[in-house]
Amino acid sequence: MITAEALVKSYGNKVAVDAINFTVRPGQVTGFLGPNGAGKSTTMRMIVGLDRPTSGSVHVNGRRYQDHRAPLREVGVLLDAKAAHKGRSAYKHLLAIGATHGIGASRVREVIGLAGLDSVAGKRVGGFSLGMGQRLGIATALLGDPATIILDEPVNGLDPEGVRWVRTLMRNLAAEGRTVLLSSHLMSEMAQTADRLIVIGRGRILADDSISNIIAGATRSVTRVRTPDTERLMATIAGPGVVVSVLADGAIEISGLTAEHVAVAASTAGVVLHEVASVSGSLEEAYIALTAGEVEYRSSHIAETGAHR
Amino acid sequence: MTATEKHRATFVAGPDGLTFVGVLRSEIIKLTSLRSTVGLLLSIIVFGLAVSVALGLTMEDAGLPDAPSAGFMLDNVTIGTVLFGQLIAGILGVLVISGEYASGTIQSTLIAAPSRLTVLAAKAVVLFVSATAAAGVALFGSWAITYRMFAAFGLEIGLTAPGVTFALLGGSVYVGFSAVLGLGIGTMLRSVAASVATVLSVILLLPVVLSVLPASPFVRNLHLLSMSKAGDAMTSLADPGGAFLHLADGYVSPAAAWIIAAAWAGVFLLLGAVRLRRGDA
Repeated sequence: MITAEALVKSYGNKVAVDAINFTVRPGQVTGFLGPNGAGKSTTMRMIVGLDRPTSGSVHVNGRRYQDHRAPLREVGVLLDAKAAHKGRSAYKHLLAIGATHGIGASRVREVIGLAGLDSVAGKRVGGFSLGMGQRLGIATALLGDPATIILDEPVNGLDPEGVRWVRTLMRNLAAEGRTVLLSSHLMSEMAQTADRLIVIGRGRILADDSISNIIAGATRSVTRVRTPDTERLMATIAGPGVVVSVLADGAIEISGLTAEHVAVAASTAGVVLHEVASVSGSLEEAYIALTAGEVEYRSSHIAETGAHR
Repeated sequence: MTATEKHRATFVAGPDGLTFVGVLRSEIIKLTSLRSTVGLLLSIIVFGLAVSVALGLTMEDAGLPDAPSAGFMLDNVTIGTVLFGQLIAGILGVLVISGEYASGTIQSTLIAAPSRLTVLAAKAVVLFVSATAAAGVALFGSWAITYRMFAAFGLEIGLTAPGVTFALLGGSVYVGFSAVLGLGIGTMLRSVAASVATVLSVILLLPVVLSVLPASPFVRNLHLLSMSKAGDAMTSLADPGGAFLHLADGYVSPAAAWIIAAAWAGVFLLLGAVRLRRGDA
């Protein structure tokens, strides 16, 4: 369980994390989603005491990370896959980290096996690919068999097999009752892995809910219709709360009426429909809707899409 | 919300917590698992021995004293280790911390041991012991290897001669202090290049700068309080009946030099500790 209370981090007069409150619960995978520069990494660094909060607090299982007797057994972290000296072997890197807590060679070999690094454990980290670096980072996070696992962008640079491995691993860790916090800017990855999402933008929490609730709350479901007789259909279904928009390709999007209602109304009026479909929002749409105006670096193309939605 | 009701199936908290001995062990593993740091430690020994042997082989040309002289022997046997050892150890001290910032290892280090001063203390202990040991091997080894060379001229000096063992020990400890000085500067500045430049300035440049200041009674012998002058004094014999420290006479006793060198290392370590404790890693 991770609890942040009025957590603030500012650099000079730039506020990176703006008085956020959240709770990450055990037994599920919580996704930490937000644009670049939203404050995800800063928040994660504050959880493990690398950065000092300007004010407020963040606790892991009731205490600050640095106040735990055995921090590595409490929390396992992957923040930066390159957090190992290029000249040191993966095995020695893990051995040195484990030594602080009396974690010995047998556990080190175990996590090396778990991360699929057996064949390169004796090689120097400098020769590792980004994917191997990620695996080493995940092995490091698992070293203390921690109750809480925090992974910042863990699938970066992994091949499809590796992505699936991370996904399964996190699901299993959560099923064992551990607290799993995972940050990513990849919506598809989040949709497949996380049970719950905390969406952050410009240092503020934009949403903190289950994925389905977030999609429902931030997007609208519309009924899409194609008909040769647009004018008559619009006249038929007009009513309070019904909004109709005609898309560039001739399709009509109707909000405020279900597909069933539209079909029945059209049938009654004798309007021929070529297509009737209910279109519900995706996580990506919800995310873009939520973070509209919270993105620091935005390309004009994305801006147009956002405006359209 | 059934998921939150589940309990961890496999996780069992282990008995091992974070201990200072554990952090020490971690630092030893880190120091010995890099070619660069092991290479620097070995080069203290190689340079120390090589210079002593070279001086031993050429001592006849350089002029010999009339009678066995502990001072003459110490000059020949300690200069290589002290001169090169202080610089190599200083750079080693820088690398042990700045190398972690450069490679990102510092993140892993501080996540494993969040009490930052514990990490710094462990690094200081491991560095001091290993640099002192390497210099000890170089100094006592130099004495042993050149013993026959001095004996050829009837100038051999045993370890039991007054002050000799203390001077060789002093030289070893001085190199250890140099490593800690480097660690302090590296922790304070974090950048490898800036830290190495500062170490070289403090050890090599400062005494030169101090000795060319306008001579006034006050500044005239201030350079005697510099780090490298302390190194000289620590490997010299005490003047019989000499003062502990007499700046006006230009005399620093070996015992006073231990304190001066320790103070230099201690001050920079303290400055490093302040930087490390405050703010973000």
